[in-house]
Amino acid sequence: MIRFKSIISRIVILHVIAVVITSVVISFALSWLLNLATGDIHNKAMEDQAASVARYLVSNPDGSVSLELPPELQGLYSQPYGRYSYAVVDADGHTLISSRKDRTAIFPTDPKSPNVGFLKFKRDDAAISGASLPKTIGDRKLWVQAGEDLANRDVLIDDIATDFFKDVGWITLPILLLLLITDIAIVRRALRPLRQASEIAEHIGPARTDVRLPVNEIPSEVRPLVLAINQALDRLQEGFRVQREFTADAAHELRTPLSILRTRVDTLDDRSIANALLADIEAMSRIVGQLLDIAELDVLVVDPDDRADLREVCAEVAEFIAPLALEQNKDVALLGTNAPVWVKGNPEMLSRAIRNLAENAVKHTPRGTVVEFTVEQNGIAKVSDRGPGIAEEERDLIFRRFWRRDRSQTGSTGLGLSIVQQIAELHGASITVENRPTRGAQFSIHFVASGNAVEKAADE
Amino acid sequence: MRLLIVEDSKQLAELLVKGLRIAGYDTDVVTTVAEAQTALLTVSYAALILDLGLPDGDGLAVLRELRRRKDPLPVLVLTARGGLHDRVNGLRTGADDYLVKPFALEELLARLEAQLRRPGQMLGNALRVANLEFDSRNRQAVIDDKPQVLSARETAVLELLMRGKGRVVSKRQVEDHIFGLSGDVASNAVEVYVHRLRKQLSEKGARVHIHTIRGVGYLIAEEKP
Repeated sequence: MIRFKSIISRIVILHVIAVVITSVVISFALSWLLNLATGDIHNKAMEDQAASVARYLVSNPDGSVSLELPPELQGLYSQPYGRYSYAVVDADGHTLISSRKDRTAIFPTDPKSPNVGFLKFKRDDAAISGASLPKTIGDRKLWVQAGEDLANRDVLIDDIATDFFKDVGWITLPILLLLLITDIAIVRRALRPLRQASEIAEHIGPARTDVRLPVNEIPSEVRPLVLAINQALDRLQEGFRVQREFTADAAHELRTPLSILRTRVDTLDDRSIANALLADIEAMSRIVGQLLDIAELDVLVVDPDDRADLREVCAEVAEFIAPLALEQNKDVALLGTNAPVWVKGNPEMLSRAIRNLAENAVKHTPRGTVVEFTVEQNGIAKVSDRGPGIAEEERDLIFRRFWRRDRSQTGSTGLGLSIVQQIAELHGASITVENRPTRGAQFSIHFVASGNAVEKAADE
Repeated sequence: MRLLIVEDSKQLAELLVKGLRIAGYDTDVVTTVAEAQTALLTVSYAALILDLGLPDGDGLAVLRELRRRKDPLPVLVLTARGGLHDRVNGLRTGADDYLVKPFALEELLARLEAQLRRPGQMLGNALRVANLEFDSRNRQAVIDDKPQVLSARETAVLELLMRGKGRVVSKRQVEDHIFGLSGDVASNAVEVYVHRLRKQLSEKGARVHIHTIRGVGYLIAEEKP
């Protein structure tokens, strides 16, 4: 079974096959009908000839019968090639008159029927077809036979048939082609709403679950499919909505009690207990925040049209983290290009990724050292510290959720880097980890450069 | 000075009331968008502390209505959601500042004070770091209660840093603030003024330090021993 890729090619190929079959069948049918028609015409002509010969039969007084053909008819039967011939036979089978040279009957096997008979007879290499007409002259019952040599007639009919095919072919072929083109046009037109629906469907993604396919223009044969797709999208959107709402609700439900706890501790008189509790609340808040981040990232999808200025994102993170670093006698610096670096992605998510890297770096870098942010023009953001670095064998482990090198260390959730990786994956970005030649770890995220950086910059 | 707290969690609201009372503020507490709208129309408050997740709607509706009436009331938004969308939405609708829950009471008070010290607001215009004070009304720097003489541009830089105390002021902001739109600025001009200001403050005995965050900006903080 041939598999067709498109409906159009299926229609064209099947249509061509149908056209070929139809042409052959029509040709045969027409030639059969033509033969039938020419046969009828021939028989009628033969009957007429027999009748006209019979009209000139004369009954003599001696009882014999003679034929007195007018000259124009004599000419017809005396043609050199003997196309037409006639004969008159009596009831005993004797040939009384014959136009043939050997004076024989045309149809020796004449059944002498009382009605007109149409007969065929093969003589030597000639096939003679004609009519036998009963005629009573005086008191004698005679049969007038008229015949035509079919060898001659076939020439004529062949001519007609050949001409017919030539003429009919010239007419039918363009008609059939025209029909084919019309079919293609009709199908294309009928499929246009589907093509439009496909174009709309291309834009559907987790970021755009509100898109629905138009149903009104869709042909009724395909409508159930389109409706089913729309229903599937409804369910998908509902799923995303429920998940997003859950995340928002969970954020509210978890953070409000933490706020209450924190404020209560803030107003405690015993500052030593308060400070210990605050550190615990801080750690708890961090875990809650990161779990909510992860839940949010599981349903959030980057809009492919989102653009972010990586330089600006890093500058904001550096501004945010600098006061925290300075409190611990640590410094931050933003290096690299000063020009905007446009990359594909959601600025807030990029910011969260860089912030997680920055928080780790500030935590691990020793007092008196600098955490460096470096932004490169090709879409790479680097965050490096002067800490102990990361061992070769740990470089895959650190991105696992809840992985920690030192389980006894408090304040670390083991979630930060998995969030970074999740954000990088959502943006088609790659992360590399290396140790700096001197000391410390360096994380690089290579984002996808945004093609229309110039336009975007011009829009600002 | 009376503040309006819109917060649906009774416990949190009570604790905020307690904390704010200690800091010297009187407070009214409402728990819904509707009550907040009514309260704002009947009482004149110094500032509004607004939670976003309320039982009868989004707290941003209160803010939107306030700004539609062109009311310049300082608004501090509290949000449980930390996402950028909240932040952008909040600030676009006219919030002056926001805090993500859970927040330190101290932080809330600091932000509130920063809002109330803005020109035209209730508190005076004095900004303080350690023994350095800056009165933004007469643009006067005071160290240990002694008024100091600084050049116009040094004063401009100091004002900006004091307004943004505890936060990084970007180099770009400093440039815009001291040079405005007046043509080209030499690339090291800001460094030069910050350097002079640093020298002046240190000579005059201010126990503050202006940190340079390379590639980012400047931050004024109390000098560490």
